[in-house]
Amino acid sequence: MPYHEFECSKCIPERKKHAVIKGPGEDLTSALPLGYLNTIPGSISERGCAYCGAKHVIGTPMKDVIHMSHGPVGCTYDTWQTKRYISDNDNYQLKYTYATDMKEKHIIFGAEKLLKQNIIEAFKAFPKIKRMTLYQTCASALIGDDINAVADEVMEEMPDVDIFVCNAPGFGGPSQSGGHHKINIAWINQKVGNVEPKIISDYVINYVGEYNIQGDQEVMVDYFRRMGIQVLSTFTGNGSYDDLRAMHRAHLNVLECARSAEYICNELRVRYGTPRLDIDGFGFEALSSSLRKVGLFFGIEDRAQAIIDEETARWKPELDWYKERLRGKKVCLWPGGSKLWHWAHAIHAEMGVEVVSVYTKFGHQGDMEKGIARCEEGALAIDDPNELESIEAMEMLKPDIIFTGKRPGEVAKKLRVPYLNAHAYHNGPYKGFEGWVRFARDIYNGIYSPIHQLSFVDISKDEIPTETPFLTQKMISDASLSEEITSSQELREYSGKYDSISPLRSKTYPDFPAQKKLSVV
Amino acid sequence: MEDKMKDRIEQLVDYIMKHCLWQFHSRAWDREKQNEGVLTKTMQILCEEPIEKETPADRCYWVDAICLADAFKARYSWLATLDKAELKLLMQGLKDRMDYLTITGSLNEELTDSKY
Repeated sequence: MPYHEFECSKCIPERKKHAVIKGPGEDLTSALPLGYLNTIPGSISERGCAYCGAKHVIGTPMKDVIHMSHGPVGCTYDTWQTKRYISDNDNYQLKYTYATDMKEKHIIFGAEKLLKQNIIEAFKAFPKIKRMTLYQTCASALIGDDINAVADEVMEEMPDVDIFVCNAPGFGGPSQSGGHHKINIAWINQKVGNVEPKIISDYVINYVGEYNIQGDQEVMVDYFRRMGIQVLSTFTGNGSYDDLRAMHRAHLNVLECARSAEYICNELRVRYGTPRLDIDGFGFEALSSSLRKVGLFFGIEDRAQAIIDEETARWKPELDWYKERLRGKKVCLWPGGSKLWHWAHAIHAEMGVEVVSVYTKFGHQGDMEKGIARCEEGALAIDDPNELESIEAMEMLKPDIIFTGKRPGEVAKKLRVPYLNAHAYHNGPYKGFEGWVRFARDIYNGIYSPIHQLSFVDISKDEIPTETPFLTQKMISDASLSEEITSSQELREYSGKYDSISPLRSKTYPDFPAQKKLSVV
Repeated sequence: MEDKMKDRIEQLVDYIMKHCLWQFHSRAWDREKQNEGVLTKTMQILCEEPIEKETPADRCYWVDAICLADAFKARYSWLATLDKAELKLLMQGLKDRMDYLTITGSLNEELTDSKY
């Protein structure tokens, strides 16, 4: 096994099995780190807790819901507004967050009364919102507060409200991934099948494992609507609580992030016979194939092909403009879970960059299998890295840019490595054809930023060149390119708008009359 | 001859690993069904044999198989030189290799969990 031992982690020998280098001739039967295990004491992990995974990643993107945490206010504060999962109802779920604000006295005397009072107060403060998700935290779980009983009591007293209880306290798993699992299973057990939807198309899907980061969901739903497909629910970005109670009526579950949401797809398949189709919304080739597959499933592949042709013609010359300027740049692909495999091959093939390392904070071995399989030889794969390992890896690999979260990203900046926010994006959406070009533009801007170039000068010892004129991004990026490329009439920079999402919300779609007898509820 | 076959199988494996997701479901029994479903149908498409796609599950395997067969034909011109018997042998070899990489030889310790 080609394990990689970090110098900084020699004092934590268990860490050795959490990093591998994919050498020549290595495959998944010889190069796979351990994963999804409890963080080793002494290793300062970058992971979040199970509560964070349940609430912050999966629960809160639901848009028409009061998201209430039963615990200390800090739990909620640290899971509020840190990810840009926008919504088309004026971002209600991003603007407001709720906590019962448990204190020491509640640990002694219990906090069920406090919880009930908070729930009622929140519903009264926002009388138009009739749905709530209620999250257990470490504090309330340890004292044994029965939040299910409190929720039932409130629902009896207020018949027009509905409350979902998520029992995923912070300690309920090795990482946030434990919370993903718990909320998936809790949702299907408690809520799916409780609402009968209005079916308006012959082709009905749930779009699962999509969190509408800077509008990703709205981009993909636009494609589906152009194909005449009804997106019954989205689990959970820009998703509606009641739509998600009707997931059992879809004909197909289209799964994007298998790491966070394969559980509910698997259970829908077992319980309701709804098949699961895994797709990739990132990258021209993967996205084209994904749209085609969904089209083929319903026998409307011509509609998918029309979208693929139109979008490719519009955006490919712009993607290629960036590819010419990003070719050979070294990237550390260090996201949370699924993006290491969504992006690993696509950015290499379509943007020309070299992925020199992948890591995952909370992914399982299955995510590493996908990620390592999609990397080229020589890539360093790390499970649950600590900060010192990340620093050592950056010093060893000397990447031109890293894609990661904002905490490790700020560390990278101090090492003079630019970073892009892989979780919340810089200037997303990154899904869709246009989104992929926006991602390429962000990478280009990160690597060739004139300000970033200045960071290489150490004013404590380097001579500051006063003769050198200011260099723009293009002057830096185009210096080594051939004239054929720099003067190409075909290639061009991104020409989309600052806001590519708002126009989708008022768009009208072609009418594809349904052929079969449809339900009207 | 054996080396040639092995090399061709590795080319197909490389394509699947870099472009597909269906082979990486989370449990061993799921992976067995996926490999069997998608690769059998891919073989049937390449050999121009009839394909079952009436159930939703079969239809899912079939859409992945269509995309895979098209990609194989577009990328690997040597496929067109094979007759049906050779294609079946190749696809059986591919199935065996995929089963080994993703199931029997896999180091993924979660594959045998009894629950999702």
